[in-house]
Order: sequence, then structure tokens, then C-alpha cells
Amino acid sequence: MRFTSKTRLLASSMLVSTSMLGLAVAASAQEATFVVSAQNVGTPSYNPINGTQLNDAITLIFDRMVIQDADQTFHGQLATEWESTADGMSWTFKLRPGVTFHDGEPFNAETIVWWIPQFADTENAFMTAAIESVEVIDDLTVRFVMKNPDPNLLSNMSSGFMSIPSPKAFDALGDDFGVTDAVGSGPFRLESFTVGQETVLSANEDYAWASDLSENQGAPHIKTLTFREISEDSTAFLELSTGGVDLLYSVPTDFLPRLEAAATVQVGTMPGTGLFYIPINTTVEPFTDIKVREAAAFAINQKEILDNLYGGVGSVANTFLIDSLLAANVDPALRISYDPDRSNAVLDDAGWVMGSDGVREKDGTRLQVALWTQNGTEFKRVTEVVQAQLKAVGIGADITVFDSATINDQYRKGTDHQLAVRSYSWANADIIDWFFSGQRLGYPNVSMWNDAKAEEMNLAAMSGSRTWEERVANFTAYHEYVLSQFVFAPIYQPVQIYAYDKEAISVPETIRGTRLQSQTVVDITVN
Amino acid sequence: MAALDPIKTAVRSPRGGLSAAVLVLVVACALFAPWIAPYAYDIQNLPGSNAEPSRTHWMGTDEFGRDLMSRIIYGARTSLSVAITAISISVVSGLTLGAMAGYFGGWFDRAVTAVVDLTWSFPEILIALILIAIIGPGVESVMVAISIAYLAQFTRLTRAQIMALKNETYVEATANLGAGHFHIIFRHLLPNALTPVIVAGMLATGDAIILEATLGFFGLGAQPPTPSWGAMMSSGTAQIFIAPWIIIFPGLAIAATVISINLFGDALIEALDIRNRLRSV
Repeated sequence: MRFTSKTRLLASSMLVSTSMLGLAVAASAQEATFVVSAQNVGTPSYNPINGTQLNDAITLIFDRMVIQDADQTFHGQLATEWESTADGMSWTFKLRPGVTFHDGEPFNAETIVWWIPQFADTENAFMTAAIESVEVIDDLTVRFVMKNPDPNLLSNMSSGFMSIPSPKAFDALGDDFGVTDAVGSGPFRLESFTVGQETVLSANEDYAWASDLSENQGAPHIKTLTFREISEDSTAFLELSTGGVDLLYSVPTDFLPRLEAAATVQVGTMPGTGLFYIPINTTVEPFTDIKVREAAAFAINQKEILDNLYGGVGSVANTFLIDSLLAANVDPALRISYDPDRSNAVLDDAGWVMGSDGVREKDGTRLQVALWTQNGTEFKRVTEVVQAQLKAVGIGADITVFDSATINDQYRKGTDHQLAVRSYSWANADIIDWFFSGQRLGYPNVSMWNDAKAEEMNLAAMSGSRTWEERVANFTAYHEYVLSQFVFAPIYQPVQIYAYDKEAISVPETIRGTRLQSQTVVDITVN
Repeated sequence: MAALDPIKTAVRSPRGGLSAAVLVLVVACALFAPWIAPYAYDIQNLPGSNAEPSRTHWMGTDEFGRDLMSRIIYGARTSLSVAITAISISVVSGLTLGAMAGYFGGWFDRAVTAVVDLTWSFPEILIALILIAIIGPGVESVMVAISIAYLAQFTRLTRAQIMALKNETYVEATANLGAGHFHIIFRHLLPNALTPVIVAGMLATGDAIILEATLGFFGLGAQPPTPSWGAMMSSGTAQIFIAPWIIIFPGLAIAATVISINLFGDALIEALDIRNRLRSV
């Protein structure tokens, strides 16, 4: 009898242990690790309202009112329907019922009434600048009363910066929101966040409000999702090759042949939304002289960089906007394309004489400037090539490499930098306002450009357009003026290349949206 | 000439001779780089990037199409000049501080010892990183950081030597004859304490080359396009699967130089019989 009890006890223990082991294996099988884009390494916060830099995980923690698909159409996420009056002075949004934030708070019209005013006096205020007030029609209907028509309103509302946080958590956490915790209504909850290292998310099992861009209308298939931040491309590549991570948000073109040859790796591409460029500090000598700015801009050999650093994948940049935007169609005479003869001629005209060491001089002053860049293989490589290309026309450049998390603070000083190699990812012409508005000197306006005519054109483009066509025309004119003043030099337009371990996860063949965001991630399954 | 005898003895030993030969080669590269290097170190040739070693480029080219051998030859200048300058500053400062602390004792000795013990409790790389975070990246910053990071060991070594020597009869006799403190320190004590410190300085130079390469690897040392072995290895990591020679050859240069310095230092220690002298101290 005693023997029987012991045997039963042993058998029961084994059964329980086996079950627990099985559960553990099942649970671990739902885990995945993604690597954020190299340019997003060091993002300091997940605060969409105050943040000026957000990483790829933002749309997983928070939902937006609408999502933009690759064909530029808008699809409801937290809004189900919307309409605008003919004069564009009023927008009505119907909100999705049954949505709750991760802290249990309900999403409703009051949330929107609280949310829109939060943007006032932040770097992102331009997103809601056209909205005069928000009126509650009923618990799930709001009306935006506009100060002026804003044909870009839906585009703004599809941005990660217009992700909607839980009002209760946002107010309670204050400046810590997005750093110690971030509470949204998205398909994943934030478990932990260590700047520059990793973000751990867990599935929001209550999630039942995905947009129609997602196949999966319920909770995400991945139960624990870790976003790692790896600045070195080769390390990220090695991690993917050895099974340490499951997906890379960005892949350098150098690694394409090796990744495509790997049996377990699937590579995908999407149209690009970004651009590499060189802001020129217009307030610091010698770049207060437009001729020196012009010389620097035309010294950049975009084709050489495209062909040799990117293997011809992507396209050259000759304006400040990606080619797919209508406002990129500027007067061809204003496009900035490599022309070393022009650079040399304007420098000669400006009195800069070539020195014996290949650096020009004027009145005993050498044409030697500070060229800033940030950590990361791609930035450092592009910067070294830019340094050599500037030298070819007699502009010496001293490179300083900053940590990506701190370089924006350095820009804010305003006077220490002269040139920099930067990139942005944004598929809207209002990026010109972001980087060149006189309201944001230092950062994001790294060029420190504050020009009265530009401010007038900015105002017309940002808030003086009643229709989409008018907006395009105003932004095209503003863009052309920016180009004519040589406040930056364009370099390169990358395509979005992602890669994943196809034995570990399954990613939908068609990526919906303009980027690999929540609408696709909820459909990803762990094999 | 007698001062050179231990060096001659060290060079005559097999490991001393071999390591001295490598060191002479490295120093020659550093001194005569513009004449030895087959190409300019900063001229890019992007279409020729990542070329494997060949007859035209013996060590291949880097990701910008620059000749790797030329950059390694020029890189010897950066590595050696930073390491030697930094350790020289460190040795001179350590000798001065250690001699004063050991000779005078009292509160000055306690203060110096406390600071030395404090800095010695941190790894050199940590001290260097903190200092560069304060003063900013660049060759000069790296020199200052390395010299401060290694100051503790020379101060401590000198202090121990001086404390043992200051009670010697000849020192007491000199004092009784009316010699001043500084005369005693600089004419009688330091010359007798110098040899172990110099040898320790030589060995530390090898460590300093590694530290300079480490800081260069993190992008804190010489800024592009100035070649530094550590920075070259750093940029090579991104190309390791495409052009492994970019990381291998600078790595070999660092290894060969540091091993040679250590082997020659060992040979010199034996030639000078320093271990027995230190034991007696």
C-alpha cells in the first residue's frame, strides 16, 4: 500500500512536471526577437507626444486613429469612420467601441478631448496646430473644429507621433512616461525598456481592434517580443545567421548577397521612406556665405556613394524629399547633383585659394570644418566618403563621432557643428518644416536656418492650404526655396530592406502600410 | 657605454634579438612612413574597395579602397606616438610624485598613496573612458587618458624604491654633509631607483598600445581618415564576412608589436637582474 502511494506520487509528479515542461516549451515557442533599425538605436523614450525620435516598437504599444497603407489610402484603427466638411473647417470621427488601454482605462471621446491639447508647446505641436478645439458629440464621436483647413490631417494622425497614450498613465507618470513605462492600447504591453539595449513586450491578450489591414483581428500570435538595439550591422547579421534574433528591421546592402544565399533567411524590400543628407550650419563661418554652402552641396557625389557603398540598391537624392512625394517634383535647375566644377568655381569666386595640402585658404584662414556623425557602421562609412569628397574640392573636414543617443543634445547647442551626416525616415513633405523651421533651431533644425521668406512659405505650406493640391503646390514652392539656399546637401535614398529567419517565424508576404508596423506584426507567427 | 651593456645583453638573447628586430621594423615604419608606404593612407578608391591581398595591394584594400598596408604603416605612427608619449608623461609624473611621497612621507605621502590606491582599484580602460568622456575624443585626449591611467603604478613603484633607498648609509652621509632635499632626491635617490621604473615603463608601453587600440576601436582615438590600428579593426568588424583581411592585418600588427615589447622587456629584466634587485628592496 505504501509502495503504491509512492508510485502514484512519483507518477503524478512526473505527469505534472511533463505538463509544465510542455507548457514552458509552448510558451517559449511564442517568443521572438527583432532588431530595430540601426538609425533608431538609442531612442530615448516611448513618449509619442513629446518624443522627437521613436523606434519601430512604438506602433505595437500604442494605436493610432488611422493607418496609411502603401497605396496612400487611410484605414481606420481607433477611428472607424471620418468625414470632413467641404470647407475643411470641421472633421468628425467615429471612434471604435470596446477599446481599453493596458491599464484598463476606456478609450472614448473624452480621451480625444484630453489628447489633442497635450501637443501644445511640444516639438510635435505642428501636427495638431490646425485644430482649434475638440467637441464631444457622443461617447464615441468627436468633432475637430479647425483654425484653418489641414489637408494633411489624416496623414498626421497615421504617424507614430500621434499614437494615443492612456491619459491616466500619462498624467500620473509625467516626464517618466515612455521611459519607466508606456501605456497604450496597442497589441503589445511594455514590460521593460533599457535605452540603447532592449525593449521587452508582452502580448495584449485583450486586443480585438486591429485595422482591416491585418489578417489577425485578435491578440498577436507572438506572446513575448523583444526588440534589441544593435548598432553594428555585422553583429546584427551574425545574430540573425546564428538564430540569436528572428528579424532585422534594416539590412545594409553589403550583406544582401550573403543573406539571400542563406538557406534559413528570407529578405524582403519595401519602398523607401528615408533620405540621407548633410545639414549645413548657416550661422557659423564659413557657411554664413551661401557660396561656400553651394560648393559643399555640389561636392557630394551621390552616384559614387550609391554605387559603391550601397551596391546600387536605392537611389540618389537630389532634393530634400523622397521621390514618391509630389512636392519632390521641383524645377530641375534647383536639384543638387554632383558638380565639382561648380564647387571649385564658386569657391574661387568667394576668394578661397587652394592650399598646398589640398585645403583652401582665405586671408590666412583654412577652409577646415567640423563634420559630425553618429555611431553605427552606415553613418561612419558615408561620413568618411563625404569627408574625401569635400577634400576633393578643397574643403577639409574633421570628423567627430557622437553617440546616437546624445548627438541631438549636441546639435541643440547650435554653434559647435558645421556639417553633419544625418538621415530621416518620413513620407510626408512636412518634413521640410520639421528640419528647417525657424521655430526649431539647433535640433531638429540642425542647419540653424532662420529666414523670413522661408518662414512665410512655411506658414503657407503648413497652415495656408485648403486642398491637397494647394498643399502640394505650397510645399513644392517652399522646397524649391530651401534648395536654392543650399542649407543642406542631399545624399541617398535607401529602400527598406528587412530580413527574417523563415524557420523561426512566418511573415506575411505583403507588408501592409508604409513600414513594417503593428498591422503586420500581429500577423507574424512563430513556427 | 656601460648604460648600453644590458641592452646589448638583451639583444644577444634569442627572444631579445627577435623582438628587437620586430620593434626596429615597427619604429622604422612609424618614422619613415611617407617613404615606405606604397600609397597615400587617405586616398579613397571606392570602386576598388574590399579588394583581397594581391601583388598591387599586399594586404588588400579596406572598405574605401585604401591600401591596407599603407594604412598599417602610418598606423604605427599613431599607436607608437600615443603610447610612448603617454607612458613618458606617466613615468616622469610617477617618478616625481613617488619620489616626493617616499622621501618626505607624512601627509603628502598619505594623500598621494590614497589617490594612487583609489585609481589602482579601477581598471585602466575604465579610467581612460571616464577621462575621455570628460575631455572628448581625439589623439591628445587619448594620450592624457592613458598617462593618467598608468600613473598609479609608476608612482607606487618609485615610492617603494625611494623608501628603501633613503635609509641607506650613503644617503644619510650626503644629508649630514648639508645636501638639500632636492639634491638628495634627484642626484642620489632617483638615479638608483630609475632602472626598474624604466623597465616597467617599457612593459606598460605594450599595454598602452592595446589601450590606445581599444579606445580607437570605440572611435575615441584618432579621427578619420588618420589611421590607427584599433580604429582600423573597428571598421573591419563591419566587413568581417566580406573582407576579413581588414581586421586581421591590423590585429597582427598590434599583436606582433605588443608581444615584441613584452619579450624585449623580459630580456631586459634578465639582463639587468631586476628581479633580484627588487627582492632585495
